[in-house]
Amino acid sequence: MKTIIYTCPYVPAEWIAAHGLHANRLLLGRVDSGFSPARAEGVCPYVRSFIGEVMNNKGADGVVVTTVCDQMRRAFDIIVRHCDIPVFLMNVPSTWQTLAAQKLYVDELKRLSGFLVGLGGKSPSKDTLAQTMLDYDDTRTSVRLAREHLSARRFAEAIAAGGSFKGEAFGDGSSGSGHPQPIRQAQGSAALEAATLRVPLAIVGGPLMRADLDLFDMIEQSGGRVVLDATETGERGMCPKFDRRRLREDPLPELAHAYFAGIPDASRRPNNELYRWLKRELADRAVRGIIFRRYVWCDLWHAELGRLKDWSDLPVLDIDSAGDNAMDLPRIQNRIRAFLEMLQ
Amino acid sequence: MTHAPERITLEEWDVQYEKLHRAGMREPRYGGPLSRHVEDGDHRLGRLRYDNSAAALRLWNFLLTEEDRLHEARAAGNKIVGTMKDLGTVPVMAYCFDNVTAFYPDGAWWIPCVMEGSDGSLEVADSLGIDESFCPVRAMLGAFVTGAHFPIPDMLICSVGATCDDFSAIAQRLNGLGHPIFWWEIPHRRCPERDEAGVILPGGLTAPKSQVEFVESELERVKAALEELAGARLDDERLSAGIAQANRVRQYLAELRNLAFTAERCPLPALEMLIAEMLAIHFCSDRPETIAVLGELLEEVKVRANAGLGVLDAGAARIFWVNPVADLQVMNLLEDCGGRVCGTEYLFTHALDAIPQDVPPLEALARCALADPMAGSSIDRAERICADVRRFGAEAVLISRIPGASHCALEGQVISEVVAEQLDIPVLEIEVPPVTDSMSATLRTRLEALVETARCRRRTTQGIRRSG
Repeated sequence: MKTIIYTCPYVPAEWIAAHGLHANRLLLGRVDSGFSPARAEGVCPYVRSFIGEVMNNKGADGVVVTTVCDQMRRAFDIIVRHCDIPVFLMNVPSTWQTLAAQKLYVDELKRLSGFLVGLGGKSPSKDTLAQTMLDYDDTRTSVRLAREHLSARRFAEAIAAGGSFKGEAFGDGSSGSGHPQPIRQAQGSAALEAATLRVPLAIVGGPLMRADLDLFDMIEQSGGRVVLDATETGERGMCPKFDRRRLREDPLPELAHAYFAGIPDASRRPNNELYRWLKRELADRAVRGIIFRRYVWCDLWHAELGRLKDWSDLPVLDIDSAGDNAMDLPRIQNRIRAFLEMLQ
Repeated sequence: MTHAPERITLEEWDVQYEKLHRAGMREPRYGGPLSRHVEDGDHRLGRLRYDNSAAALRLWNFLLTEEDRLHEARAAGNKIVGTMKDLGTVPVMAYCFDNVTAFYPDGAWWIPCVMEGSDGSLEVADSLGIDESFCPVRAMLGAFVTGAHFPIPDMLICSVGATCDDFSAIAQRLNGLGHPIFWWEIPHRRCPERDEAGVILPGGLTAPKSQVEFVESELERVKAALEELAGARLDDERLSAGIAQANRVRQYLAELRNLAFTAERCPLPALEMLIAEMLAIHFCSDRPETIAVLGELLEEVKVRANAGLGVLDAGAARIFWVNPVADLQVMNLLEDCGGRVCGTEYLFTHALDAIPQDVPPLEALARCALADPMAGSSIDRAERICADVRRFGAEAVLISRIPGASHCALEGQVISEVVAEQLDIPVLEIEVPPVTDSMSATLRTRLEALVETARCRRRTTQGIRRSG
């Protein structure tokens, strides 16, 4: 089965899978691109890693990049010039309120379909798409239900595996067949009881990389626990539950609606839905502090830091990363410890 | 032309001003000696070198009195519209209303340079979490908070989508501070698919018809919002008339650019050319006066070009400049190093290309908006740069990175590669912060190296031609 790689949450895995292709949403490693432009000053470490991953990837048959962030949009220019893998740039509108913007997104999905068919995929029937959507919806539901039984790290891994992230990152949780697998592992009751004594935190920001999952352990070791993963690779980036009636009537509009209208993000204009979502989730989970995770040179999230601090009554800890683990880790560890000491 | 063209200092301009006055120079009501602007805090002016013509004096005075014009417009009851990011499209529409004055708050990015940081706008941005990792356009945020520069607009209209993240993020921060923004979408411009109808855009690029229709529908929303603000309808006839006026500005600039970049001796310095080009984006808040200012400047340049006169040596290295500079002084620096600007791509070529007048006016503006170099790929941009390098006969390309700008991190390399592949001429990338004083020696060395390389290649080429 041919594999399509991508990172953006606005690319529906179901759409790729329904074409008979393996949708592989990458949880990036810290691949420092050997390609000189990607090492340039000012390049976001996540974008740099993405370019590196694509350049070095031996198993991908196609790449989907989106316009959600400007640097990713420009990464497409680098990839298309220097990489032999076919690459598709999907325009995801920043505005979301108008019918025209929603139609633009649907039209882009149709154009993506053309790209996938060109790679050997098969344009899906309504039934095929509907069934694929139901499979993914069931898996995401099981992931959500498993949250209270998993450590924060395992939950993040389950989202990644169940949401069609790259399976080999975790060793289990992904069948490699292009379809998601149900959650199998759960935390013991004693461990869960201990977890409830820790300070409940939210982690907010853009996408995490594989090595960033250590953050969850680091937080637990310091006396906290992440009860809300509001990163792009976490719960916030998960497609909400489909409306099954609409799905059966016509699956593509429902797919587009769920993804385009259902994933709140800093990049939307205006992005008040992000704050509406945060308000609800922070209250529901009784969060006592926010860890704000951002990459150096990521303007979209960096600009939200000040606003989040103004908006929220909760203490906010800014954790920036230049993508250099060795340099970042001790500093981050110290900051998290100090933050939790204040909250305990 | 009453004096031999040359570049002069601000002090020398005071003397020149007296001479011109004695010779009977007539000035518009915003006229006066340039040095008076330093008293307003524009300290950078004291370090620049200027063209010595009356036409250039008028250009500078027009630019430096824009804030006064905006305050006067507010006092006269006009609605003030802050158009943001699209650089050249929405103001064409806005200036069709009698009671609307539009300007780009984005222009505040030059405040830290012109005032040499004395106004504190960057510090305000810092305090709001928008630090130096963002493009200098963050000064706009400070200008809104202090209210010390332009009047707070009655309406803000901002394009988003295929734009830079810096501006989008800063505009969203502004929105969060209680300045509501009307957002409109500009999609990433792409080539039509095989089964899609295409439309040729100003500048020669092609986009799918569906994208043009989408942008037209977005501009229809913008038009409706402006109509509501102005309390008046904007029909096609009136919009077409506005486009015709905008095209007069663009026509003058096309002639000016052609003469300035191709004349044997450079007839107008790079700094004045930069400012002249900038007038295209929102007419410096006065469209008729923009036409008059550019008309006078064009006449001056024509006279100089016909007489074979210029402000620089005939052998100056011909440099194509990519991206606007945050520090205006760097335009002088290139000329001090023996270069001249022969071609520019300051991120608003779509504001310089003629707007089509043979299609419905809103569609014409949509085509124009989609031609924005920022809306498409860096490869498209590089192709346009190559075409203009050939057209103006530039011998080297200078890319000035804007510190922190999201597009600059990766596009410079793409542009360099495409230029190298197509033209085999030297390319240099420099970074220009709002005030370059602490790094002027480094910048000078790099610019001198570029100029020397271009000249050296010229000698080599001439040698090959002679020996051939």
